[in-house]
Amino acid sequence: MYSFTRRRLIVVLLLTSVLLLTLDRSESGLVGGVKDAFGVVFRPVESFANVISRPLSNVWRGVVDYSDMRKENLALKDLLVKQEGAAIAATASVREAQELLALNGLPTLAGIDSVTAQVVGQSPSNFTQTFELNRGKSSGIRVGMTVTNGAGLVGKITGVTLERSVVMLATDPQYAMSVKVGACTRPNTTTTAVPSSSTTLAPSGPSTGDTMAPGDGSTTPVLTVPPTTTSTTSTTTTTTVLQRATTTTIKGFTPFATTLPPVPGGGFASQITVPETGVLLPRETGAMEGQGIDRLPVIRFIQTSARLGELCAGVPVVTAGGSQSLAPADLVVGTVARVITRSGTSGPLLEVELAANLQSLNFVRVLLYQPATEIPQ
Amino acid sequence: MKRFFAIIESPYLRALLIGFIVLSFQTTLFNTLRPFSVVMQVMLLCSAASGVAAGSESGAIAGFMFGFMYDMVLTSPFGLSALVFGFAGYMAGGVNTFAYSPRWWFKMLSVGISSFAAVLIYPAASLVVGVDGLLQTRVIGVAVTVGLFNAAFALPAVFMMRWALVKSKKQLLWAE
Repeated sequence: MYSFTRRRLIVVLLLTSVLLLTLDRSESGLVGGVKDAFGVVFRPVESFANVISRPLSNVWRGVVDYSDMRKENLALKDLLVKQEGAAIAATASVREAQELLALNGLPTLAGIDSVTAQVVGQSPSNFTQTFELNRGKSSGIRVGMTVTNGAGLVGKITGVTLERSVVMLATDPQYAMSVKVGACTRPNTTTTAVPSSSTTLAPSGPSTGDTMAPGDGSTTPVLTVPPTTTSTTSTTTTTTVLQRATTTTIKGFTPFATTLPPVPGGGFASQITVPETGVLLPRETGAMEGQGIDRLPVIRFIQTSARLGELCAGVPVVTAGGSQSLAPADLVVGTVARVITRSGTSGPLLEVELAANLQSLNFVRVLLYQPATEIPQ
Repeated sequence: MKRFFAIIESPYLRALLIGFIVLSFQTTLFNTLRPFSVVMQVMLLCSAASGVAAGSESGAIAGFMFGFMYDMVLTSPFGLSALVFGFAGYMAGGVNTFAYSPRWWFKMLSVGISSFAAVLIYPAASLVVGVDGLLQTRVIGVAVTVGLFNAAFALPAVFMMRWALVKSKKQLLWAE
């Protein structure tokens, strides 16, 4: 038998590795095919090993995680009770929003089919953050599709075989996604001076130009509800006073007044001030990138501006959507955990606390939405 | 028939079968046992143990094989684990030759050091092939944990890999 010298052996192994890496990076189907074939042979062996090792795994979990599990279970029960009421209200709001979007011919998440899959494996590597699902091509899953759970964004599909698929988590350093984030306070708006002769529907209380306190869950006056008409019979003036309702606000969502532009040639009735209607704050689009295990994803390329207003923790983050985006629009991602200000023109960095708990995933939903960028040419 | 037995008695075929079984436990049992949130790398352990058991060249080939198999179940660049594990096997064999007649603790040291080095090299190599974000300070903790674990289990792994890669006198006589 031919005997390799040490140097030849190293060169051959190095070249083989480089060849394999080149094949992989060129995204040729060969690597995928080999992996699929290996999976077919390996899966029964893995299942057998799983059966053998499960008791040991359970013992380990029992020893290491038992007290944490108990605490977590009690906390979750409390949380569940609190969330039940909120969930019903939220469902009604979501339905209403979807109806409005449908009425306006806008795309909604409700129009996207999905597949429910179970997490059956986790990456054995210390560097990549991936999960394996028990559904694959046969269920319509393709590379690039977005994975969510009940709470929010989980990640995206990076590999598919006939019956299995691999999900890259949103915290993986390779993961990037365009997202929208709002400010915690409303931007400075100019209060329009309305001519005395015009018809004004103005809410009582502070002017619309006032700076609202950062959304902290406190009660602040918002939308006006059915008008109460106060008429004085002795004069010809009728003043319509809109009663202020008090309701709990969500961070990042504070109302402000909209002033319509003057009507061309409109004479003295130049401007109409529309009352507060709970319009969403302007939102800025940025790029969210995973930072690895035990680190929160960050949003880059956000520029603070007068239009956007102040950025702060607690503001919701949703997917931006768009034809080139990896996910449909307005999918819940999480909330801003921390704002890191940076000097110069680089803009702030926002750390994102994901809504989905990636440590304990079981069932997930794969949106059968394949981004244009992921469709093979 | 004799040829068939010669093939199934081939050291690398044995190593392949061992790799297959070890990989199945890597993706199941050792994926669950995560001391300090670090996944134990038994495929890397076998690679380094091959070097100690059968020398640098055999260690490099066996390590490459184990890494190649590991790449099959990972989403990281294909061939990267093969490269790094091959290096680990080669390095372990090289370190082991520093001692004329290595004692048990020196074998553990060889496996531990080469595993530590391999875990550090992996993110650096991934950076070279265009996968950034893996080279973080956390890697040092991972490398230390993996190195200690692999050193602790080095002796049984070396014994197993010696059985696979080094033909006994009895086998050599039978082959003749």
